[in-house]
Amino acid sequence: MKFHSFLFINFLIISGILSSCTKENPTPVTEGDSNDVILEFDNRVGAQKLVLGETLYQTGTGESFTVSTFNYFVSNVSLKKTDGSNIKFPDQYFLIRQADNNSWEPVLKNVPAGDYQEITFTIGVDSTKSVSPVGERKGVLDEGSYGDDGMYWSWNSGYIFLKLEGTSPAAPANGAGIRRFQMHVGGFGGMTSATINNLRTVTLPFPQNQLATVRKTVAPTIHVIANLQKIFSGKTTVKIADTPAIHMPAAAVPLANNYVHMFTVDHTHNE
Amino acid sequence: MSRVSLLLVSVLLVWSCSAPGESNPEVHFTVPANFPEPVYAFERNPMTSAGVELGKALFNEPLLSRDNSFSCAECHSQPYGFTHHGHDVSHGIDNLKGTRNSLSLQNLAWESSFFWDGGVGDLDFVPIAPITNAVELGETTKNVLDKLRATKKYPLLFKKAFGSEEITTERFLKAFSQFMVTLVSAHSRYDKFVRNEGETLTPEEQAGLKLFEQKCSSCHQGALFTDHSFRNNGLFVQGVKDEGRAKVTELEKDKYTFRVPSLRNVAVTGPYMHDGRFYTLEAVLDHYAEGVQDTQNLDPVLRQKPGLGIALTLQERQQIVAFLKTLTDEEFLKNKRFAAE
Ligand code: HEC
Ligand code: HEC
Repeated sequence: MKFHSFLFINFLIISGILSSCTKENPTPVTEGDSNDVILEFDNRVGAQKLVLGETLYQTGTGESFTVSTFNYFVSNVSLKKTDGSNIKFPDQYFLIRQADNNSWEPVLKNVPAGDYQEITFTIGVDSTKSVSPVGERKGVLDEGSYGDDGMYWSWNSGYIFLKLEGTSPAAPANGAGIRRFQMHVGGFGGMTSATINNLRTVTLPFPQNQLATVRKTVAPTIHVIANLQKIFSGKTTVKIADTPAIHMPAAAVPLANNYVHMFTVDHTHNE
Repeated sequence: MSRVSLLLVSVLLVWSCSAPGESNPEVHFTVPANFPEPVYAFERNPMTSAGVELGKALFNEPLLSRDNSFSCAECHSQPYGFTHHGHDVSHGIDNLKGTRNSLSLQNLAWESSFFWDGGVGDLDFVPIAPITNAVELGETTKNVLDKLRATKKYPLLFKKAFGSEEITTERFLKAFSQFMVTLVSAHSRYDKFVRNEGETLTPEEQAGLKLFEQKCSSCHQGALFTDHSFRNNGLFVQGVKDEGRAKVTELEKDKYTFRVPSLRNVAVTGPYMHDGRFYTLEAVLDHYAEGVQDTQNLDPVLRQKPGLGIALTLQERQQIVAFLKTLTDEEFLKNKRFAAE
């Protein structure tokens, strides 16, 4: 008896989740309404959850690695409605840090009610912000907030757009016998002369029948999966053995070209 | 001398920078009559006496280093034009050595890029580099701010400067700039001479000035003695083979180019060049006359004579050195306003 009611409750919960994911007839849009949209960044390695620390993962070429740090900036988000118009969210910068689960689900505020079918965002911190005065660098752009997990290159005054660090048997051992690899991607295009620009923008249409329907009572979640395996193989193959330490914009170009292919929108929840 | 008279007529700009309500407004920054207009964005960082004082305290504060042993002033010492006296490349925390010679800190409000390679384009962001550099102060800005917050002294100094005890990155960096831009050197014998303030130069010094204007001022230009550009002056590529500007831009055309340094107070800021390879001004002059190397991106100005470099007789070299010594600004080097309490 006990067992049965447990199953029944489970069934209720599961069907509840399923129905909310595929709400079919959202209430009509009322002009002037708005709500939050939650961007859920779900970092994975292939079909595995990303867990920092000991877990051994494999790149596409069979190099195994662990991940100690995985951070990236998301900015200049825009959402496209089914009528083709775009709603932009300028001057909002999010830093997704795998070590801090409070950073995984940034919120876009005051999104106008409507049906959205696509998201676009920049990976990194755009060049305008990268040369802005110190008074305009608040929150995740405040260099004084980073501590040991820095996201700023003081020697060229630029943000690190994406940082992946860990260990790998393919990396050379340091003095303490630890085989660390570090991949830091930055480069906003230069202050005065044109230099390497590793800013990349991704546009992700939502899967079929998966709209984000913002209503007065519905604050949708857009569930984005980032498959960090793609950093090694999105476009060209990057081997840890060849480039275990990347700290300069030019060397990081292949990584940026790879990680534009890292993101997919898996589904939306309209709750 | 037409260039000099042009400089003389340039307007005297006074930045009246006192905070509203300050009873005895004090001028913290004045543009010397023979200087161009500064480029620092004063409007974003209004200067106050309390702000300048705070910046000076921070500049001399050992809490800025990981083991609380070392301050900015260790590598930027006033009597030596705010350079690291006697060190070719600077030594920081744990006596670790960097690869570059400490730059003099003076007339920073006229610079739009900082460091030998111009890696930082805004004075407000400069302190982050030495604080976080493992071989300089070896700290993180976050830790520094936390340490300052835990003191009795600093919350009060921040309140005086910014109206509340809150210590933020922005306030911290702005206080630094407020102090650093006050480091104006414009009272050398040369300045008093060009401003007709009753100073005279000896015939040897005047001959040196003439030669300097002919042979050096295309790069070491104007009242600041720099055109703020990045150039390769033909140094032998040696040691760590520092690529200079290209370290920041990763461009071939910038390889081995370095920011043209000001030559103010140059008699006390030795050793010279980005890696401190020359110990005397005579050695520098010998380099331009005899030692210029044909390395990648050698500046065209130094290609004009057969055998490269700048044609200078031994006597001319002496005259130029005599002139360079007139750029020493005793008032600046001894000004108590800049010294730690
Ligand atoms: C370990 C020695 C050391 C310490 C400590 C140090 N500096 Fe420096 N500083 C240098 C060197 C060396 C350079 C030139 C480096 C380069 O160009 O790469 C420099 C350059 C500078 C410049 C650039 C000047 C110009 O004209 O471009 C400024 C400004 C400066 N330092 C300020 C500071 C401040 C503020 C601090 C404290 C937060 C500090 N320094 C601490 C050694 C030091
Ligand atoms: C083509 C441009 C150019 C010309 C012409 C030139 N210089 Fe320089 N000078 C530079 C650059 C660039 C540096 C810094 C080089 C480095 O450290 O790699 C420099 C450095 C110096 C320094 C060292 C300053 C310091 O603080 O370390 C002195 C002194 C100097 N020059 C004097 C002169 C004199 C005197 C002349 C004329 C005889 C002259 N220069 C001509 C570009 C030039």
